[in-house]
Amino acid sequence: MLLQAFAISPLLMVGIGAMLLMMAEAFSKVRGGLALGAAAVCFAGVACAAGVWMYGVETIPGIDAFSPWLRVDRFSLFFDALLCLGAGLSCLMAGGYLPEHNLDRGEFYSLLLLSTFGAMILSAAGDVLTLFLGLETMSLGVYCLAAFRRASARSSEGALKYFLLGSFAAALLLYGFALLYGVTGHTDLQGIGDAMAKGNIRNPMAIMGLVLILVGLAFKVSAVPFHMWTPDAYEGAPTPATNFMAVAVKGAAFAMMLRVLLTAFGDPRSASWASGWPPALAWIAVITMTVANLVAGRQESVKRMLAYSSVAHAGYILVGMVATMHSATQASAGVLFYLLTYTVSTAGAFGALILCGRRGAEAVTYEDLAGIGRRHPAAALPFAFFLLSLAGVPPTAGFFGKWFVFRSAMEGGFYWLTIIAFINSVIGAYYYLRVLVFMYMREPAAGAPVATPMRSGYVTAALILSAVLVIALGLTPTKSLSVVFQAAAIFGG
Amino acid sequence: MLNLLLLLDIVPGPANAATPVPETPQGPWMGFAYFGFCAVLAVVGAIATVASPNPIRGAMGLLLMIISIAGLFLALHAQFIAAIQVIVYAGAIVVLFLFVIMLLGSDAQTPSDQRGRIPRFGAAALFAGLGLAALTLLGRTMAKPKLPGDVGSDFGSIDSIGKVLFTDMLVPFEISSALLIVAVVGAIAVARGKHGELAEKGALNK
Repeated sequence: MLLQAFAISPLLMVGIGAMLLMMAEAFSKVRGGLALGAAAVCFAGVACAAGVWMYGVETIPGIDAFSPWLRVDRFSLFFDALLCLGAGLSCLMAGGYLPEHNLDRGEFYSLLLLSTFGAMILSAAGDVLTLFLGLETMSLGVYCLAAFRRASARSSEGALKYFLLGSFAAALLLYGFALLYGVTGHTDLQGIGDAMAKGNIRNPMAIMGLVLILVGLAFKVSAVPFHMWTPDAYEGAPTPATNFMAVAVKGAAFAMMLRVLLTAFGDPRSASWASGWPPALAWIAVITMTVANLVAGRQESVKRMLAYSSVAHAGYILVGMVATMHSATQASAGVLFYLLTYTVSTAGAFGALILCGRRGAEAVTYEDLAGIGRRHPAAALPFAFFLLSLAGVPPTAGFFGKWFVFRSAMEGGFYWLTIIAFINSVIGAYYYLRVLVFMYMREPAAGAPVATPMRSGYVTAALILSAVLVIALGLTPTKSLSVVFQAAAIFGG
Repeated sequence: MLNLLLLLDIVPGPANAATPVPETPQGPWMGFAYFGFCAVLAVVGAIATVASPNPIRGAMGLLLMIISIAGLFLALHAQFIAAIQVIVYAGAIVVLFLFVIMLLGSDAQTPSDQRGRIPRFGAAALFAGLGLAALTLLGRTMAKPKLPGDVGSDFGSIDSIGKVLFTDMLVPFEISSALLIVAVVGAIAVARGKHGELAEKGALNK
């Protein structure tokens, strides 16, 4: 009993921590410590996941007590740690951003933690019922975080778009699951997978269900052409919330995608090029990368550029997803490693963007950043560093993330897909380097508003933590690679 | 209310496993009449919802349809679904509709439809055709649906649903509490936010 509670301790930590913070926010007059408390809860969640991992989650007796609702395995522990890391970094950023921009309302942290709780449920769900509950818990929290700046019309617009399209996507997903239940009589992913392996995939109702599920999943990972909400929602939300959406929500959505596609549709027929999901996913990946990179290059707002860049990264990850049809373990390990590097690089970039601006002198457009590298080198340097990692320049983490995903695509024989992805990452380098050009080689026009960096221990702490992780993942990827391989081993084959 | 209906013998009681055939204690005619009554009311309500130009009447038609369908659920021994239908749809959703109608003013009318007849009838024909195509496709390719085997006499009753909810389905049930909390906290965060920020803006302007 105690060991079972230990096995789900990351979940309990975040869930109970969210409740306690909510109480603390409601009954205490002290404002300052909430960000620290929320970040501590998240990092404690990381520590719990690491503890269960090292104890050996397979050896815990009665670990099946939660199945099929929740699968407590190395895959879900990896995502517990990853999502808690992303959430913890967002909390630290919020500790600096919210007071600076006069948004310091305590509900932010309880919403963020509850949303993280939903994301962790989503990554552990082994049944469509818990999957849907986790998805909605996560999404409802994020809709409200996106609408957090109520005085800003842009924030409300973005949040409303996100809410409507997100609900629509959830409904499509649910419809797909309902059709699958009609075909197979199962709601647990393993049961659906067993029924599909018996040839049920040829049933038109099952195909319809698969198509609807793919569309719903593509909405949630914001792949083109289902990405329309992304730039508006990302731009309107407060930047720490944007970071949470880009990092944790996207990570959990990919966890859901891996589990659904590889467990429920992992049989040789459904995962084949001739009669399954891989070609659809491959084309979505191609359109996503190309459109997002081309549009991102034309943005004037840096935050919007980062939003499109996160769409483009979803495209690279989808390339890795396609490769899972040949080697489920190796390719999904590549996807997990990419998610890890993407998480730390993106969190760092958003943190640096926060650090570059203060109230009334925010860093919004490229012009705002002109010359900041010379005026405030300490604020510009981390931004440049994380952008290089996002662009995939060695020896940063981003390089190895792309390397492993592209390599697994090559080994799967998808040369054309790899070439398109490679060309796209070159296009992507253009708009990341454009920020560097503005920061270091331009001077602001006379009298034009420029960004002034803020000072915040919280944001600095988040930046240092992400920078250490980016360098560590870039220089010594071996250790983390063995971790992602163990996490991906649950898919077998 | 359900127990009252059962006591009055208007509604068929839970089917007895030993005697599966009779729809109601009074014989098959009573059950048929009950079904017909509910079904006709549901169709009338649905037509009133779509066809009525007055939004309040539309909402009332919706209410009628929802309650009639709850009656149909009762005839299928799905007491729980019937109760939920009344509480959630009739109780919450129709009231929400009425609130919106009241906020807009009950005489709010949509501006008269400017589209010509061809697009309108074209759309109707298109969707009817698509629906027909989907139905024939399903009818041709699907195997005959297997009827579910003998379900227990208390299948779908409030007791059995409660038992399943608190034993087998305890994990999702507990997770749904997180969903409710996040909805409440989120609603408060969004609603309270406007107040605080606008008040502060006003203070700055002074």
